[in-house]
Amino acid sequence: MTDIDDHSSMSEDELLAAEYVLGVLAGADRAAAERLLQRDAKFAAMVAAWEQRLTPWAREIADVSPPPQVWEAIAAALPAPPRAGLWESLAFWRGLALAGALAAACLGAFLYLGALNREQPLVATIEGGGSRAFVATIDAKRGTVAVVPAAFSADPTRVPELWLIPADGKPRPLGLLRADRPVFITIPPEFAAQAVRDAVLAVSLEPPGGSPTGAPTGPVIGTGKLTSL
Amino acid sequence: MDLDANRSLIAAALERIPGGDRAALQTVYRLTSAKLFGVAIRILGERSEAEDVLQEVYVTVWRKAAAFDAARASPMTWLIAIARNRAIDRLRAGRQNRRMEPIDVAHEVADTAPAADSALENAQDHARLHGCLEGLVAHEHAALRGAFFDGNTYDELAERMKVPLGTMKSWIRRAMIKLKSCLEQ
Repeated sequence: MTDIDDHSSMSEDELLAAEYVLGVLAGADRAAAERLLQRDAKFAAMVAAWEQRLTPWAREIADVSPPPQVWEAIAAALPAPPRAGLWESLAFWRGLALAGALAAACLGAFLYLGALNREQPLVATIEGGGSRAFVATIDAKRGTVAVVPAAFSADPTRVPELWLIPADGKPRPLGLLRADRPVFITIPPEFAAQAVRDAVLAVSLEPPGGSPTGAPTGPVIGTGKLTSL
Repeated sequence: MDLDANRSLIAAALERIPGGDRAALQTVYRLTSAKLFGVAIRILGERSEAEDVLQEVYVTVWRKAAAFDAARASPMTWLIAIARNRAIDRLRAGRQNRRMEPIDVAHEVADTAPAADSALENAQDHARLHGCLEGLVAHEHAALRGAFFDGNTYDELAERMKVPLGTMKSWIRRAMIKLKSCLEQ
């Protein structure tokens, strides 16, 4: 039998890391290991290596589905998401729409965005046939475009589709719009670089589901150039 | 589900959490909570405390996701380590461990086959560890099991196996040295 105190192949620190990961330490010993873990990168690496060695053992433990209230408690414990709320509140936008005050909608959006974003939002008033159909606001930082319907009446057989037309004149599809409520669209990353000042937003009428070709197939009911305020 | 695909799904979701993406945390939860709940129940021995621990674990994940490095650790290893540590902290803060029945080495149950789990851990890693554990002396293996699965301390293991504390420390330390050397071969 070999000497039981022969720990030559592992330093005291590494033995401590092994004991910590195994879980046999208590009280002051465990607290000491945790302090070392916080301030000693070498010790932290030893702990990570022992986690790598021992954790596969947990494979023998069967899964148990937690009850739904656990996730609810977690979600409630998280800090409120930044910059959500008013911006994504449908009631807020509906209230403005009901007031019929397009100017107020623009003002509200920009006051709100201005308070939160250092970057200036881009805005386009999409007009055609002498009336404003939609107002679009691009938040470049988040890569989203918010489109609020103005004087646009729903067409029972066709849906409005939003297009981005950059300097090359080729329309890129951004998504379908609604006559009855604002729509928030995430700009596809491959088009984001083209959503800049002086690019044009256009709305065409397309079959339900949107243009089948990837290019506008129906009448363009309005266009507007992106400008910064 | 394909193991690598699952692993990269979890890793990708973890990477989105530091930006404040709550949906990403929910994805991590959906893919991993059954495993971590199983781990917490195994160590704590009962469900309601395990539920509290599980909640703490994911709030910790939310706060510390930036520290996860996919190039250095498997996401499941990182998550299980957090779950075991939170469960052990809870165990230490409470009364004596519930799992204090004597460990009879002669009748100690052998390691079980991997449970029908979500197969998030690499089966090869488990087989290798299992082979090395089998190479330990029976009492060393039993002591490690008590620590890993029951959350026992040195003192508790000495009591359960009816040996002096110093003997238990030597068993465990020697077992860990052998284990490391075997896994490195």
